[in-house]
Amino acid sequence: MAQQTLSSAMPPTDIYGGDEVSALVLDPGYCQTRAGFAGEEMPKQVIPSFYGHIDGRDIFGDEVILPRANFEVRNYMNRDSVVEDWDGATKIWEHLLCKRLQPERPTPPSKNGLNIGDGDGDGDGDVSMEDANGGGGGAENSVDDLEKPLAENPVLMTEAPWNSAKAREKAIEICMENWGCPAFWLSRTPVLAAFAAGKATALVVDVGGANTSVTAIHDGTVLKRSIQRSPIGGLWLSNQIRSMWEMSDPRVDLVPTFMVENKKPVEAGAPAEARLRNFPFPIAPSFRAFEEERVLTEFKESVVEVWRGPGRFQSNEDYAKSQPGRVFEMPDGSNQMWREQRYRVSEGMWDETVAFDQHEGRVAKSQTIPGLIKAALDGVDVDLRPNLVGNIVVTGSTSLLNGFNDRLNQELTNMYPGLKIKIHAAGLTSERRFGAWIGGSILASLGTFHQMWISRKEYDENGAGIVEKRCK
Amino acid sequence: MASHDLRDVLNLPSDHSSTPRPSKKQRTGPGRPNLKGLAREVQNLGGDNPIAIVPEAAVFKKRRVISRKPAARWELRPFTNSARGDDGALILRHWRRKTDHDAPPDAMEEDGEPGPVENAADGERQVEKTIKTEDSTFAKFNVEISIPQYNDDQYRANLERSDWSKEETGYLLKLVQDYDLRWPIIWDRYDYSPQTFPVNGEAVNGDSTAVVPVKGEQRSMEALKARYYEVATVMMSVQKPAQYMTGPEFQLYETMMKFDPLQEEARKEFALNTMARSKEEAREEESLLLEMKRILARTERFKEERRELYQRLDYPSTDADINTYKTSTGLNSLLQNLMNVDKTKKRKSIMASGEGVSPGTAVPPTAVSEAGPNRRESIAATGPSHRESISGTPVTPAEPTPKDTKKKGAAPAERRKLSEQEEQVYGVTHHDRLGSGPTFRYEKINKLYSHKSGQQQLRITNALGELDIPARLAMPTAAVTGQFEVLWSAVTALVDLRKVSDRLDADIKVEEHKKAERDKARGITNGGGDASSRDRSVRKDGAGPNGSAEKSDERRTEPGTAETKPETRPRSQRSQHNDLQNGNGGTAAAEPKPGSGGPGEGANVDGAPAEVKEEPGAGEREKLGPRPSSSGAHKRSASVLSTISDKSAKRQKK
Repeated sequence: MAQQTLSSAMPPTDIYGGDEVSALVLDPGYCQTRAGFAGEEMPKQVIPSFYGHIDGRDIFGDEVILPRANFEVRNYMNRDSVVEDWDGATKIWEHLLCKRLQPERPTPPSKNGLNIGDGDGDGDGDVSMEDANGGGGGAENSVDDLEKPLAENPVLMTEAPWNSAKAREKAIEICMENWGCPAFWLSRTPVLAAFAAGKATALVVDVGGANTSVTAIHDGTVLKRSIQRSPIGGLWLSNQIRSMWEMSDPRVDLVPTFMVENKKPVEAGAPAEARLRNFPFPIAPSFRAFEEERVLTEFKESVVEVWRGPGRFQSNEDYAKSQPGRVFEMPDGSNQMWREQRYRVSEGMWDETVAFDQHEGRVAKSQTIPGLIKAALDGVDVDLRPNLVGNIVVTGSTSLLNGFNDRLNQELTNMYPGLKIKIHAAGLTSERRFGAWIGGSILASLGTFHQMWISRKEYDENGAGIVEKRCK
Repeated sequence: MASHDLRDVLNLPSDHSSTPRPSKKQRTGPGRPNLKGLAREVQNLGGDNPIAIVPEAAVFKKRRVISRKPAARWELRPFTNSARGDDGALILRHWRRKTDHDAPPDAMEEDGEPGPVENAADGERQVEKTIKTEDSTFAKFNVEISIPQYNDDQYRANLERSDWSKEETGYLLKLVQDYDLRWPIIWDRYDYSPQTFPVNGEAVNGDSTAVVPVKGEQRSMEALKARYYEVATVMMSVQKPAQYMTGPEFQLYETMMKFDPLQEEARKEFALNTMARSKEEAREEESLLLEMKRILARTERFKEERRELYQRLDYPSTDADINTYKTSTGLNSLLQNLMNVDKTKKRKSIMASGEGVSPGTAVPPTAVSEAGPNRRESIAATGPSHRESISGTPVTPAEPTPKDTKKKGAAPAERRKLSEQEEQVYGVTHHDRLGSGPTFRYEKINKLYSHKSGQQQLRITNALGELDIPARLAMPTAAVTGQFEVLWSAVTALVDLRKVSDRLDADIKVEEHKKAERDKARGITNGGGDASSRDRSVRKDGAGPNGSAEKSDERRTEPGTAETKPETRPRSQRSQHNDLQNGNGGTAAAEPKPGSGGPGEGANVDGAPAEVKEEPGAGEREKLGPRPSSSGAHKRSASVLSTISDKSAKRQKK
């Protein structure tokens, strides 16, 4: 902690505006749910938003998603990044915040069986007990507290900017009713991503898993008319890859890793020689899809690149062919060199004419990233636009594709030749992946933020509707 | 001895063979430090540059100074934030160093050291007793903006507008409060619907990618700003009239009052265009702007020089009627006037130079106001005077103030120049030169009246009567007289125009008569239609009376094209429109010959309210002729004037 390295007893409030109140930050997304303590730089816990459902039981975490009988993989969010399955959401959040982030609670001294009689003996346990009583102030050890696991921690949650009023009310309800939080706040992801980049006014380009959104932020507030989103995200890119593999000759089979028991090295382009595993129980399609997504993610991380110019990919395909390719080995051992195709799959993000056809339909021009940015800027006041273009914050995991920022810069220069364009994209992978969480961590640990929290009292007086009134 | 040996070996002439003593002395002379731990021989190897030896002390690292105090204690201390405005309902807790006694947070910040143990115990008990929570140090950063407040009566009296309901105004003000005057956000969130507040976010339009669909009619940001500033200024001035505002207040008031939504919109349009341009265009525009600036500066300088030149010449104003100077007596009086002006000017210049030296010797009635800065200082030194109070406190616009400022103009170096705002606050206005002694405002008008002929006076009075304005103003405040002067000059111009047009009509009639006579003489019968057509074309030609006057002058001197007449005449009656379109050709064709004047020329020369003589064959077109059109023009201009007159009438009622 920074506080401890400082010599003075009080942190210098003039430069350091932090004031930790042990708040928790929860950032749910379609692909991952992140949780941690405010004031830290990374989320303590990151688990997939997919959870396992087996024999009527829900299990959470990456490590439990294994091939099992009667096992099904579910996600509590829908593709719009809005919570759909509230039971699942409550459970997975509780798992994160209460189980993974909090230490195991000791049994209260009155029940742990050690204090028979008035054993006011010497020992560390008694001292700490006294301390707890003295500093904590009464209500801590009450029975209520045990039922409400987060009675000491304010919770800051993030949401998509297009979240519905109902979902927001439900979120505060869960926090207040189920966990007994003393305070709650709901903030939109683009705002927090901008905060993480150290900006209060920015145009946030969030290329996430399920969605890509472009939002203008002014003074820490979302400009609603600028909110633009499209499904062009990580999953869309995965589907592009699928389409490409299906169309390529020879067709590339996608065999997830868990299916492969044994494989032999083969020449490039040769068919795979692998023995597949046989399971005595049927594998649920949802589980297989989840595992396939892992392979696709690996492919995206290691092979796919964004065509960074000159010009667009379409007009430079021959040049792209001359660029060095990358070899990718599938889990079953078959491997292949990918040259211009690796640019081609991501080109649909920029140029709708090049995109592969998908089941969900083609992308429109307005859904490409340049289209989104243009629409978003058109939705704000003219006076703000130059400032926004000069403060573009790129966040989201899919923006980590190689060449993404170069291409974005090029497209923007074409669109707004007279303006100064500056793209702010965090260099650290983790900062790009957890942009919204980090912003939430900053916000919740600010001393000036404490006046914003929706307190329990306000919730009790006004009901869940207060979240609409306060978190604008 | 090592160097000696070396020298021996190398067969160098050893200097110590001759003088061994001095060398020895030399060696010891500089007082080479006798370092320990190194053999002298080894040390001597270095010659004159001694070998650097850093003595190393075998000392262990110093022991860390451990304070005898017990480890600092930290506690999870509850605190509230007063900026929340919920009376400390939310108690959050943060880690703070435990102090000896729970002093106010400031004191605690200063001495972070935990005190003696017994004190701490004491403090512990005190904490138990006293209030447990402290206020957050960040509460002071909460800043709220002040929003204009109004009650129902005030709204009804000052803020009623047809396009803004009271509810919507309230909604706007609430948004302004909520979003701290950040207009882009206010505009973004502005979503007023008269019945109920919509539940947003639920219904997302399928085809639109925008998550919050923009609903039909939207108020622009400029409209919102304009309304807010209007409300703010009105309420500001209701609470505190502009004269009593302090400097910054007035500045704010003025800025808000001067907000022009149209200009803002134009500016934004411009900004939008600017955004779309390329880099080359931007560079080009920049250079053009620079060029323009240079040109403007040059013209500015030129204008300045010209103004100076004009001032030197001090030409008489040409607004007045020249007719008065056409007679010899008029010329005489003009000369007299000029001489007078010259005299006063001279005297003034003399006065300006001699001012302050002998303030009393100037013209007695203006002596007080003529007094220069020196005099003023002396008065100020003796005690607070009348003049001091004038410049020191706000006064209603009164006679002495303008004079005061006049004199300030005369001696600008010494006096503090009033800023525009102060002038408005103190009611300072600038006038033309005033005569000596008191004058009435309406006398200026009267003077203007007296310059006019009786007939014109009558007409002006009639015109004013038509507008329901008395010739003598009931309440001649500065504003009213100002407006009245504007009105009056407009009426005068109107009357003048009418005079000119009447004269023209008369001229036309005369010419027509001439032509009719001539036609009779030639035995051609259908002259009337031709005349009327010509008449029309004249109207078309001359947009203004001046223009047509010139035209008619020209026509008189122009040689006619008589030989084309017989052919064009029958046609001209039918092709009226052609004539109107190519008016010049038509006019030339219908041109009467000069010098063929007929009888009856003098009948209509005097342009009285032209009684129209029905010409044979002129038909109904004649009715559209000169007289009705002129009266029509009169009517029209009267209606134009009515806006002004309404205003002045309102003022008068006030």
